[in-house]
Amino acid sequence: MKKLIFLGCLSNTKYKDTCANAIKLIKSIDPDYVVLDDAPCCGALAYHIGNDIELKDHVEFVNNWFKIHEISEIVTICAGCYNYLTKYYTLFLGNDFKINVQHLLQFLAKPENLKKLNLQYSGKRLKVSYHDACHLRNAAVPIIEEPRQIINSIDNIELIEMENNKTNSICCGAGGGVYSIFKENSDYNSKLIFDQLNRGKILLTACPFCYTAFKRVKDDNQLKKPVIKFEDFIIKLMEGVDPLIE
Amino acid sequence: MSKSGKELYDKVKEKIETSQKAGTLQNKFGTFWKMACTIKTRQHDMRYLYEDTSREFVNRNRDRFIEMREEFVNNMDMYVEKCINIMRKKNFIVHHAKTNEEAQKIFMEELGDNKIIYKSKSTEAKDIGILDVLKENNIEIKETDLGDVLVQLFNYTLPSFQVGPGAHFTEEEIANKIKEVHGVELEPKAQAIVEYFRNTFRNELLNNVKVSLTSANAISAEDGTIVLGENEGNISLITRATEKHIVVCGITKIVPNVLDAVLMTQLQSRINNVSFNYISLISGPSNTSDIQGTSVQGMYGAKEVVVILVDDWRTKAAKENLIYADFLKCLGCKSCIFPCTASRAFGNIYASKYGLGATAIIRDYIHNGIESAVKNGLFLCTGCENCYHWCPVSINCGEILKSMKKEATDKGLAPPDLEQYKNKIFKDKNPFI
Repeated sequence: MKKLIFLGCLSNTKYKDTCANAIKLIKSIDPDYVVLDDAPCCGALAYHIGNDIELKDHVEFVNNWFKIHEISEIVTICAGCYNYLTKYYTLFLGNDFKINVQHLLQFLAKPENLKKLNLQYSGKRLKVSYHDACHLRNAAVPIIEEPRQIINSIDNIELIEMENNKTNSICCGAGGGVYSIFKENSDYNSKLIFDQLNRGKILLTACPFCYTAFKRVKDDNQLKKPVIKFEDFIIKLMEGVDPLIE
Repeated sequence: MSKSGKELYDKVKEKIETSQKAGTLQNKFGTFWKMACTIKTRQHDMRYLYEDTSREFVNRNRDRFIEMREEFVNNMDMYVEKCINIMRKKNFIVHHAKTNEEAQKIFMEELGDNKIIYKSKSTEAKDIGILDVLKENNIEIKETDLGDVLVQLFNYTLPSFQVGPGAHFTEEEIANKIKEVHGVELEPKAQAIVEYFRNTFRNELLNNVKVSLTSANAISAEDGTIVLGENEGNISLITRATEKHIVVCGITKIVPNVLDAVLMTQLQSRINNVSFNYISLISGPSNTSDIQGTSVQGMYGAKEVVVILVDDWRTKAAKENLIYADFLKCLGCKSCIFPCTASRAFGNIYASKYGLGATAIIRDYIHNGIESAVKNGLFLCTGCENCYHWCPVSINCGEILKSMKKEATDKGLAPPDLEQYKNKIFKDKNPFI
């Protein structure tokens, strides 16, 4: 039986460095985790538009792929994959889907793993804000406290909560394919999220879809504060790289 | 013949482009609406008035909201019958219309020869199609809520926020419009404008109303009491100083008892930042027994109170477990509109003639079908489920809209890019290559 790092199609296609960082991070805790090349898309977007027959076919295809590769555990770095694998795969497949799926944040937040990582920040006290992605807060098992536990475990890093946080967080406006078809939505809402940073110097996100939306609004509006994927941030700390430098 | 996904997508894009241009009506509304949403989703919302925020109020009463709605939805037939029985005993004239068409017909019969109707704002009347049928029959509709009066004055036809439909007009614009339409010069100040309507329209409302139309915030099945909340006093006037008060609403306005009805009305007040300075509890027509104990109907208030309870899609949705069955639990509080990602960004683009946001899109789907819902912005929904998190009874409009999107895709009405993504997921197993 194998333990799989499920990168998700968006990260795997567009954010290779982030994937490398996530793999490095996970393997530093548990070297048994593997990455497989031809991993299929979980189908997240299709749940908005695919009919139940098409969806069931796709879910069965992906589940068979897991079976062929004898996957028993998954850590995914994608918020969308986590949401859909835990919610819809069980819905469509029932007991035939037996894999234990965790998001990277859950994996990292385990006390024994946090201890292994022993995260330190030696720079000047740094204030960061974390954005709760819909995919994580809406999941069958919501991920809300884990990122906070991780951030709070690091000396010299202070979490500054945004006014709209946890289940009340503002959505980045990218979901459901809206990022590409109606960009005005994510441009407006992502900007609102940046506006809520206040004292936070960095916007942390654990969702590649939010990250993509934040990047666009940051570039378009020449916003100064960096937006960083969670795993990139952790690797920067581990390697002593200043997270404020992009 | 129905339009293609591309045509519908282009229509929505066109509306968005208009809304992005400074000076357009859509842009103006959008600016106002963005501000309203930001204020409403602040953590300290309403703390300037109350000890708790709106969200805390909702959380404090959440169990009862859920209980009262589930109790009704699970026993709809029983509650409707119970409510009608007690109302008839209390001398209401009650009609139970199976369809919107039947309700419209009954309404026109009740209206008789009257050619003018005075009304309060009512999403339910729009849902039931009463306004459309009044227009078709050349009945003059006199709005009485100032927001709606302004909307009429400006002949504003775009979808607007049900609670403050004219709130985006500036004082100058209103004063200019009054001068243009009524030839009266006013100081462009809210106070002067309000005084103008108080001095002119109030008299008419006190003396001329023969038939009035309202909805109900809630109706108590236990004692047949209709609860109506308002801040202006227009509802108080037109429900008393009238010959016939007609209440039109869906059966889903029924709640088990009068305390629930008042609580539901309070919720609507808290969520919409409207101080309900008047809450009317109407339990029948005006009457007196002061002469020899003989009960005579129609003392100073309404001589007749007619209630048209409409089923239309409601029982069917419950019995057949239709995709919008959960919407039957809706309290009409509009909690879902303010935190909605699409509504915040698109204001009256993500809207239908029933109002703003996801619930207006769902109503549009119910009455006008999937093509209309797509045209009115169905695919603007990101599925963020903020509606679900904010809803006092946890209705997941996001999931309802997902089911609608699936139907649209099956009928070839989805935006072409989404179709492509879907095909790539199913065929290539990666939408991003």
